[in-house]
Amino acid sequence: MNRACFTQTILKLKYSTCELHHTNKINYTMMKKSIITLAFLFTFGLLSFGQVTDPLISNCAINAGANARYLKDFRIQLGKTASQSELRYKANMSLWKNTKYRFTMCNAQDSKGQLILSIKDESNKLILSSFDKKTGKIFSFIDFECQKSGIYQINYDFTNGQQGSGVGVVSMIK
Amino acid sequence: MKGRVLLLLIIVFVGFSCRNSKSKTAEFVFPQSDSVPVSEAEKLSPEAIADISKNISSPVEIANLLQTLQVPFSQNYLAESIDANKQSTNFDKALKLGILGADLGYLNMYEKTGSSLEVLSSIRKIAEDIKVGQFFDFESIKRLSKNKSNLDSLLFISIDSYNKIDNYLRSNDRGQLSALMIIGVWIEGQYLATQVVSQYPDKMLSDRIGEQKIILNDLLLLISPYCNRDPEFTSLCKDMQDIKEKYRDIRITYTQGEPVSVEKDGGLTIKQTETSVVTMSKEQLNAVIEITKNIRDRLILNN
Repeated sequence: MNRACFTQTILKLKYSTCELHHTNKINYTMMKKSIITLAFLFTFGLLSFGQVTDPLISNCAINAGANARYLKDFRIQLGKTASQSELRYKANMSLWKNTKYRFTMCNAQDSKGQLILSIKDESNKLILSSFDKKTGKIFSFIDFECQKSGIYQINYDFTNGQQGSGVGVVSMIK
Repeated sequence: MKGRVLLLLIIVFVGFSCRNSKSKTAEFVFPQSDSVPVSEAEKLSPEAIADISKNISSPVEIANLLQTLQVPFSQNYLAESIDANKQSTNFDKALKLGILGADLGYLNMYEKTGSSLEVLSSIRKIAEDIKVGQFFDFESIKRLSKNKSNLDSLLFISIDSYNKIDNYLRSNDRGQLSALMIIGVWIEGQYLATQVVSQYPDKMLSDRIGEQKIILNDLLLLISPYCNRDPEFTSLCKDMQDIKEKYRDIRITYTQGEPVSVEKDGGLTIKQTETSVVTMSKEQLNAVIEITKNIRDRLILNN
């Protein structure tokens, strides 16, 4: 039985596949090659993954507005929750006086809920919210004219505690 | 009689509570101890460290402020003496990666794309040396640098590349390099601001320098676990403590107010009426300018 192997080129990388035919002799050389190639593909795949920017983040950042300069992003992926007392995703960020910031919220296509934001200062005072509880209105972006430098708590969640995937981008407005 | 005593007690209690809460938010003060204990810093969870590193302001914000103040661009502020080929230790490399990152932000904001390509090649060399070159999208940055109309994309890719490096280092037990990179970015941003203010005195800019007191403790928290690692770290920790000492008597106070919201064209704008006020004498500012220059100049010559 002979071992028939063929080589294919995908993304400039060669990989081999082999089929067993009627022979008792195992082609160890080809097997070794296949394992090495697979390992290489796996490693290359992981490294490439590290380089790729999530398109949801880049689209959200670049579409934040003509005068908006990207500063940071927060990638949020949350499951469904029954309790809705507080927004679940929390991070800190320093915001500086005399700077106008834009907080933009973008949702992934498969997101069940819409991404919402609230910001609190160091004394836990609510500074802003993108979700108006009275009217149910949700703003996809909020501009914040900061007059008090400090570390603020940035909170995100999805409407009604639903499962969701989205990104919050922080830019400054020129 | 009993009722009056009770009422008096309530008034005294409420009076104290209000005074305490007011004084708590009325002024920013460093935590009690002079330095951050290593044990406290070591207790920080990876999430807390990630939070601190995200919290440090971007050099792009300083460059934006300089542009708002119409300060002209100057090549003299850049760390041009850094030779990417002469960085011998990982300590030097990570610190310089941060310093050059801040310079790249400054150059990008002023659209000085010719110079940014030189900085970029140094960044590339150093990033590859510490095995994080794969996270820096050099080709895209280079391409966008040549095309001035894509400043938004250029800023996004540059900052995003640094964020990826930072995340990778922290999640691969190389947190010390991430801390160095962040401190490098901060020192260079601080150097830029202090050099400009000494040439173009401006209240808004000197206030921003004074307000750095708010994040100094976080920077010290980031580096504290490594202060006894080797002499280079010990020296850098001392430098940061010396900077903190110069900030000790600079005061940041707050005035109270409620945010005002304005809805316009489907968007929402929040105007903050609370303000932070920096009280810093000329001598205090000069001391910050001097120490920043001394430390930064020593760090970039340390090839």
